[in-house]
Amino acid sequence: MKTKIIKILGLATLLALVSSLLLSFFAYEIPAPLFYANFLLVGASFIYYSISQKMVLFVIKRIIGAFGVILIIASLTFFLMRFMPGGPFDEEKTLPPEIKANIEAKYNLNAPLYEQYFDYIGGLVQGDMGQSYKYLGRNVSDIVAEVFPASFQLGLYALIISFLLGIPLGLFAAAYHNKWQDTTSMMLAILGVTLPSFLVAPIVIQFFSFKLDWLPAAFWDGPSYYILPMIVLGTRPAATIARLTRASVLEVIRSDYIRTAKAKGLSRKTVLFKHVLRNSLIPVLTYAGPLAAGILSGTFIIEIIFAIPGMGKHLIQSVNNRDYPLILATTLLFSALLVFANLIVDLLYSYFDPRIRLS
Amino acid sequence: MFKKLIIAIFSLAMVASCTKKKSSSAGMDLSDTLRVNVTTEPPSLDWNKSSDTTSAKIQDNIMEGLIKYDLTDPELSLLPGLAMEWTPSENTKVWTFKIRTDVKWNDGVPFTAQHVLDGWERLINPLTASNYAYFLHGIEGAEDYTSGKIKDFSKVGAKLLDANTIQVTLKGPQSYFPNLLTHHTTYPIRIDVVKKHGDAWTEPENIVTLGPYKMTKWIHDKEIHLERSETYYGSKAKIKNVIAYMINENSTAINLFEKGQLDMQLSLPSTELRELKKKPEYQDSGLLGIYYYGFNTTKAPMDNATVRRAVAHAVDRQAITKMLAGGQIPTTGFVPAGMFGYDASVGTGFDVAKAKALLDEAGYSDRSKFPTIKIGFNTNDDHQRVAENIQAQLKKNLGINVELYNEEWKVFLKSVKTDPPHMYRMGWIGDYPDPDNFLNLVTSASANNYTKWKNSTYDKLIADGAIELNKDTRKGIYKKAQKLLLEEAVALVPIYNYVSQDLISDRVVNFKKNPMDRYPFKDLTLK
Repeated sequence: MKTKIIKILGLATLLALVSSLLLSFFAYEIPAPLFYANFLLVGASFIYYSISQKMVLFVIKRIIGAFGVILIIASLTFFLMRFMPGGPFDEEKTLPPEIKANIEAKYNLNAPLYEQYFDYIGGLVQGDMGQSYKYLGRNVSDIVAEVFPASFQLGLYALIISFLLGIPLGLFAAAYHNKWQDTTSMMLAILGVTLPSFLVAPIVIQFFSFKLDWLPAAFWDGPSYYILPMIVLGTRPAATIARLTRASVLEVIRSDYIRTAKAKGLSRKTVLFKHVLRNSLIPVLTYAGPLAAGILSGTFIIEIIFAIPGMGKHLIQSVNNRDYPLILATTLLFSALLVFANLIVDLLYSYFDPRIRLS
Repeated sequence: MFKKLIIAIFSLAMVASCTKKKSSSAGMDLSDTLRVNVTTEPPSLDWNKSSDTTSAKIQDNIMEGLIKYDLTDPELSLLPGLAMEWTPSENTKVWTFKIRTDVKWNDGVPFTAQHVLDGWERLINPLTASNYAYFLHGIEGAEDYTSGKIKDFSKVGAKLLDANTIQVTLKGPQSYFPNLLTHHTTYPIRIDVVKKHGDAWTEPENIVTLGPYKMTKWIHDKEIHLERSETYYGSKAKIKNVIAYMINENSTAINLFEKGQLDMQLSLPSTELRELKKKPEYQDSGLLGIYYYGFNTTKAPMDNATVRRAVAHAVDRQAITKMLAGGQIPTTGFVPAGMFGYDASVGTGFDVAKAKALLDEAGYSDRSKFPTIKIGFNTNDDHQRVAENIQAQLKKNLGINVELYNEEWKVFLKSVKTDPPHMYRMGWIGDYPDPDNFLNLVTSASANNYTKWKNSTYDKLIADGAIELNKDTRKGIYKKAQKLLLEEAVALVPIYNYVSQDLISDRVVNFKKNPMDRYPFKDLTLK
């Protein structure tokens, strides 16, 4: 009965996630029930997994800790921002004093710092992050809600590419260790890591968009638009993942239990995929956590070059503009993603290597 | 087996019920659609509050002011807009405007002079916290209204003489006052719409405008759609649709332009100018803005006017603009070309012999006695190239040492406002084409005078120019003022006139670049 529940839950979650992914890739609207089903099913799987692995206490502790971390980050960012020279409303034209006073009154910038801080934290707890100082009259939460989906989509596709490319490549290189397949794969990986995206992107655009006219050069309006940015964004992490996988696999391959498996007479394939791969993914997993958080919260260069309306631009420009509410919102979103990603990674550790027991 | 079938049918049904996301420009007839890149998301389309050029481009097409520019006139004379006529009295201290009676907002409500007053009131209202409130501080009582000293708008010098006539009483005579009414910040407003929708009043489903175009869609950070307004009082726009894209990266936009997916690209990367200038679609025009280097006239050795004059003579502007290769116009004056008051004869020109002689005269014939001076600029590739060029020129032509430093924009602004270096890079783009807007920057009372130079003769000249109505007399006054500023005191060194460069597709007909950098779409047609 239990295994049946696990099977159905797992299958349903996978089905929901994959179909949402495919729908969004082919530029269909995800119907509302499916959208919420995703969250429900992932939540349910998460809870079931924690219970079955007896990690409930661990998870609860981590979630409470996560709120603490985010509060600390919010506070640090709040104060650091104010210490940056230059204010949000400084322009070439010096503002007459009464106008400056009016602006400061409107945004409560003339109140003592601790008062502004408590106002901010109070608002944050209620979900109100204030209005942007640059995009006048617009709620910061609305701005982020509008740009985050595109960045999330791009990041997700790039992540998938990086795993689909990286892990097999690393495995392939390790399997043919020291032969030409290994050397070539690793050379490709080094190229992938060293070539910067602002170099690769224009080259790729010139070739695929201009010379061959196969794909569009900019915007984010459909599957043909997604392909170039997601490949350019995904190749760098793919290269790193390939190298990590290869190194880890080479180490695991030498271990006793693999020799036992081979001695038992298991086929090369079974050994490689069932035993070696599963145990060598720990380093990849460690890398994947922060990678996911970073890539899902937007990448400035790719989004600018391909004119994708994402969050990456706001992450950077809000600082230049000294747009305090938007800086805080983007930073907090990124931090939340990072904390969450690390939690998932830690939970998955015990699946990949039961020897890692999380207290 | 049966279960699998059910799952399969269910999935198919769900997929079939999904709607495909419509492409944002689906259903648009390309032959009647103009595609422009405005480069960034407008920070705000609330015209009482916005201060940037992107917002202005949209606002100037969906709205109109009391007065317009004749963009074909090299001196940018004024034309009636929503005001049919305007007359000064009491030596330009009082202005009376007669407003059109045949205009309707695009929700059918008739436009009246009250809407103009509502716009002005909102602009100077302290609660609006507009950083352009100072624009109308020439009106009697306006400044006190903004600072909260007066709370009753009827005490401010703008009132209705009747339903369609406005009378403005200024603090003092101001001959160029009508120029201010061409600027979007003084446009009329529907205060009922603003009250009803609050901050969201500029969203396309809420905003009410009366210009040749109306905004039908605004996908933030992506694009804005404009559609011809059939209720506009004047000649209707020729092109029905305009899509304003927000592509930040210039090279991406140029890629799209070359692929035929953009009709107008309104900003070109300076590094590609040499190639882009060869294209037939390239157009440029001087802008009403000056790129200049200011002196801190209180910091030795720059506190000595002779030294400043020597440095000014030692700068070869032609060399700088040649290096930048962007079509910038070298200038020695502080009133840009393309407007009334421009004078090519004023300023301190390039003359190495004079420069050397002057520096000797100042007591530095032994150049080693001359301290190393600091030049500051805000971090930017082009500013760096210009600063390095000046550093090299000063070394070569005068034998003096210059130390360069750069700071991020906001930090730089703060430094310049509190403790400017010996020389600092700055620019000024005029709000309206009047010499006063440029020359009053360096009056003693101006908060924008980072040179710290104060001269009462100059102040008087500027004050006289502001009230003088006779054009020729004004020209003479401003000539004197420029000579004092740029030849005698040399408080700053103008380098070049800003230039705006565009790529305009040959599909677009009737486009005229103008120094106000205005882009009225209503007169354009598509081939």
